Amino acid sequence: MKFSRRSAFERRARPLLGTIVDIGVRCDAATALVDAAFAEIEALQRCLSRFDAASDIARFNALPAGACVTPSAATLEVLRAAQALFVASAGLFDASAGTAPDGWVCRDGRLHKLHPKTQLDLGGIGKGFAVDRAVERLIEDGATAGWINAGGDLRVFGDLELPIALRDESSGASRPFGGLADGAFATSRFGDGARSRLAGPSRGGPATRGTAHVSVAAPLCIWADALTKVVALSGDTSHPLLERHGALAWLH
Amino acid sequence: MRVTLAASAFAVSAAAPASAFAVDYLSIEQAAKLMFPDAETFDVRDVTLDAAQLQQLDAQGVKARSAHWSVRVAKRGANTLGFVVFDDVIGKVELISYAVGIATDGNVKQIEILSYRESHGFEVRLPAWRRQFVGKGAGSAIKVGEDIANISGATLSCTHVTDGVRRIVAVVAAARRGGALA
Repeated sequence: MKFSRRSAFERRARPLLGTIVDIGVRCDAATALVDAAFAEIEALQRCLSRFDAASDIARFNALPAGACVTPSAATLEVLRAAQALFVASAGLFDASAGTAPDGWVCRDGRLHKLHPKTQLDLGGIGKGFAVDRAVERLIEDGATAGWINAGGDLRVFGDLELPIALRDESSGASRPFGGLADGAFATSRFGDGARSRLAGPSRGGPATRGTAHVSVAAPLCIWADALTKVVALSGDTSHPLLERHGALAWLH
Repeated sequence: MRVTLAASAFAVSAAAPASAFAVDYLSIEQAAKLMFPDAETFDVRDVTLDAAQLQQLDAQGVKARSAHWSVRVAKRGANTLGFVVFDDVIGKVELISYAVGIATDGNVKQIEILSYRESHGFEVRLPAWRRQFVGKGAGSAIKVGEDIANISGATLSCTHVTDGVRRIVAVVAAARRGGALA
C-alpha cells in the first residue's frame, strides 16, 4: 500500500535514544500500542545508553580492570552482535570506539572488563536494535503496518511503502530518496565535524573531502545502523558484509 | 525488504529539489489528555517568576529563558493530578514544539513531541517563518501530518528538547514553591 496522508496511521514522537523517535502505527488500539513501543525503547535505553549512569554500559565503563557486571539479556544480545561484527569486519566496527577493542568479553552471562582503558559505546548499533525490538513488540501487539524512525534509523513493517527523504545535515535540506517496504534504513554522516570519519583513499575509500553520507537498507535495523559504519570506514559500498545481511549501501 | 529509488534520489545535489518537512503529532489538548487521562479539567495558569525565583533557577544552572510561563493544571474534582507545560525549541534547522507532563511529586511523567518543522536551515530563526505555525496542530483527530515522508540523515539531536524539559521541571518547581500553582 502506498503511504498517503489520508491513511489511518496514529503518529507520535518522543525524545529518546538521544534523538526524536517517530512512531506510526495502523491498528484499532493504536494509542496503547504506541505507548508500549515507546516504553520498550525507554527500557532498552536504560540498559544501553552510556549517558545513563545506571545503565549496563555506564556501569561497565566505570569498572576497574578485572571486575564485571551482570547485564540485562538485551544488553548481552547487542554485545554479541557487536562482537560478531567486530570479527566479521576485521575490526572496522568497534564498540569500544578504539579505546581497547579486546578489553571486554561476555562470559557466563557477565560482562568482564579486561583492560582499564576499555569504554563501550553502543551508539553505532543500539538505536537499530531498539527500533527492531520495538517493531517486534508492535507486531506482537497486533499492529498491521507502521514504522519507527529513531532520528534516521528506521524500520517499516506491514503492508506499507514508506517514502523516505534524505537530509543533508550541513544544509538542512531534504530530498526524496525513494520508498521502503518491509525493511530498515539508516544514514550516517561522516567527515568534518561528525563523530565518525570517512575512509580516505589511503584506506581504500573514495577521494571525498569534507563530509559525506552513507545510507544502508537492510531487513533489520540493527544491521542497517551498524553497517553504515562499516561502509564509511571501508569506503566500500559493496563490502561483503552487506550481502551477508541482505543489505544495500549508498554513498552520497 | 523492497527499496524503490526516486528518479532524483542521487541527482547532483545542487540540481535536486530540496524540500522541508513538517509533522503535526498532537494538539495541546490531545497531549494533555494523553498524559492525564483521568483529568476532568485543565486549568490554565499564567505564572510569572519574580527576580528572586529567576536567580534561584540561575543558581541551579537553569536558564529560565522567560519569566512568563503558562501551566495547565490537570484536575479531577478538587484534586490536582499534575501539570502540563508546552514549549518550543529551535535547533539548527528545526522548530520542535513539545509538551511535558509533570506529576505532583515533581517528576516528569511524560514527554510528547507536538510538532516538528524543518526548514532549509535559515528560515527557522526568522519570526515570520515560525509564526506561520502558531495554532497549527490543533486538529481534532490524531492523524498523519501532510506531505510527510520519513527523514533519514545524520542523527538529529534532541539536546534542545532535553534542556527544555529540565528548564520546565525547574520552572514548575519554583512556581509551586512560590504558591502560584496551589
